[in-house]
Amino acid sequence: MPTIASKANLSDEQLAQKVRANDKELYSEIIRRYEQKLAHYLRKFVSSPDELEDILQETFIKIYRNLNDFDADRKFSSWVYRIAHNEAVNYLKKFHRGNVSLEETEWEIVDDKPDALELANTILDKRALEKALTQLPEKYRAPIILYFFEQRTYEEIGEILRLPRNSVGTLIMRGKSAIKKYLNKSYERK
Amino acid sequence: MSENKIDVEKKVMSAIKSGHIKLRSRYVFLAEKLGFGSAIVFTVVLAVLFFSLTFFYLKATDNLWYLSFGSRGLFAFLESFPYLLVVASVFLVCVAGLIIKRSGALYRRPFGFVAVGLVGFVVIVGIVLAFSDIFDGIEHRAFGDRCGGRFFKPFLHRGIEARGHGMVGRVLEVNGVSLNLQTPFGIRKVDVSIVEDAPNMQIVAGMFVMAVGEQRGDVFFARGLRLINENDMPMLGREIHRRFGVPSGTPPLCFQ
Repeated sequence: MPTIASKANLSDEQLAQKVRANDKELYSEIIRRYEQKLAHYLRKFVSSPDELEDILQETFIKIYRNLNDFDADRKFSSWVYRIAHNEAVNYLKKFHRGNVSLEETEWEIVDDKPDALELANTILDKRALEKALTQLPEKYRAPIILYFFEQRTYEEIGEILRLPRNSVGTLIMRGKSAIKKYLNKSYERK
Repeated sequence: MSENKIDVEKKVMSAIKSGHIKLRSRYVFLAEKLGFGSAIVFTVVLAVLFFSLTFFYLKATDNLWYLSFGSRGLFAFLESFPYLLVVASVFLVCVAGLIIKRSGALYRRPFGFVAVGLVGFVVIVGIVLAFSDIFDGIEHRAFGDRCGGRFFKPFLHRGIEARGHGMVGRVLEVNGVSLNLQTPFGIRKVDVSIVEDAPNMQIVAGMFVMAVGEQRGDVFFARGLRLINENDMPMLGREIHRRFGVPSGTPPLCFQ
């Protein structure tokens, strides 16, 4: 059985391969590594903590069940996010809910991407951004969230959402301008 | 959150350890991928086949030739158009595109490129295939009683059906202003008394003619008439030969 130190040295992809080779115990390490990241991502789609926990649990079960489908030449994290994203989309389709809730840290946007700073400068109100993200069509919302809040690259977002790299850029750009438009309108109303 | 964290980890791990949740076999995924792959190949091959058959139909029947009569031939053209083949080709291309999209096989390329590539592939391979002689064999089987051919019969049968506004056949005899034609659907009488657009040659038995006009009762009143080379619409020529035989000593080409 691998020690804690040796577990920590394994990459995600190596861990996945070991779990596939019947080392079930190691799956807890995968859960530990991804639980917070996925919860962080899923919270943008699911606002209720109970539902979030259910979806998170379902996501980890699906990840485990489908581990043999993971292509070891690709990035494990993108594959994991893809499953989580599909779960979130299924949830939205089922319940037609799309409330976005941002954490305090996210509100400050812990992102050093210039685009995010520019975006942050235009934001005067956390609720306004939450509402703007909620109003955003799903096709724009997911790339915006993955890029600005999950710090994923265009390449990774492409893998997660199964989109060409260029389309990711376009969707982010359009999503950003939709948010700006929405925020401008809401401030004009105020 | 930390409570949740332990909760999710505990719940998932206990389900795994108890054997309630198992890894799906890699063969299931392999079968899934093979299934998608085969479905894509199958629909693309069928799309190529049907597109090619459409092209073959246009090449081997009277359909496009009616347009040479101008507006007079429009009804005959629309009547003889292979709608079923066109719909089948378009439907199969759409299904192939849908499967490619759903499988996510080519997601790195914009779907527009994939769609253009797919249509281009179907058109190019379809046209190349239409110039080969495989469809002569398919046509032969379709109008015979062979199992393989029966599948294609509904698609090709329109090519040799009777039309209300057009007719093609071999002249059996000339009686003043009427012609008796051997057509793919039997012997038909064609009245040429009101023909406005006629060939400069005298029509004799054995020639192939094409007419546009109107069927009234048992007689087809032609408004336009053309002498044709039976090789220009071989599917009709072959059906006439199958039905009436090749006249002895008569060359198949009627005018040069």
